[in-house]
Amino acid sequence: MIRSDIIRGHLESIILRLIYENDQYGYEISKQISLRTENRYQIKEATLYAVFQRLEKKGLIESYYGNMSHGGKRKYYRITTLGKAYLKETVKEWRETKEIIDLFMEGLD
Amino acid sequence: MKKIKNHVDELFKDTPNSEEKETIKQEIYQNLEEKVYDLMAQGKEEEDAINKAIVEFGNIDEIKSELGVYNIDKDVRRIEKAKIDLNFSIWGSILIIALMIFVNMYYSPSTIWFVYPTFAILWWPLIMFYRWRKLK
Repeated sequence: MIRSDIIRGHLESIILRLIYENDQYGYEISKQISLRTENRYQIKEATLYAVFQRLEKKGLIESYYGNMSHGGKRKYYRITTLGKAYLKETVKEWRETKEIIDLFMEGLD
Repeated sequence: MKKIKNHVDELFKDTPNSEEKETIKQEIYQNLEEKVYDLMAQGKEEEDAINKAIVEFGNIDEIKSELGVYNIDKDVRRIEKAKIDLNFSIWGSILIIALMIFVNMYYSPSTIWFVYPTFAILWWPLIMFYRWRKLK
């Protein structure tokens, strides 16, 4: 499996992106991440909730209670306007970071 | 599902109670349950599904530190301790200095020597004061 500490630093953006596409609840996000990475990266639930807390404290996402499932209320998250702006910034930042790292990582065998 | 509820309770048993804690416990429980149902839908036995969900959950410390209760609590306690040390050092040095003054005045009132040990002793509360200030 991929070294998770590098991905870890970008988890906020990854989760923000998923919430940006659709309002999401916890398990759906972890499932989406495994699905899209074809199981090359799996997020630990504990990490996921820590990130939720952080994002919510920063005002980048907000939560609401949605429909019942198996008799419980699901807690959904949606992105805020601030969150969208933040995501846009991170994307820009990531492109630049990638270019810089690529300068040193490309061209070797 | 009782096993999952117990597990979540167990995870959070050291965290001080708060509304935030209850909400997040509820959320985790809800989502773990969802995962178990999903795994069962994929053909796993209930027992297996529950175990898998619990194992894959990961380390709780992250959430705890995100709830922020732990570190603050520890710091407050350390400051309290430093304060007690400071108080003790002040009272202790006052008593010793008072004794020195008394002995000085009673036995050798013609020479004032109590100043020397006084300066030496004052280092004690001084150190404690700065230690307390550093933590604060």
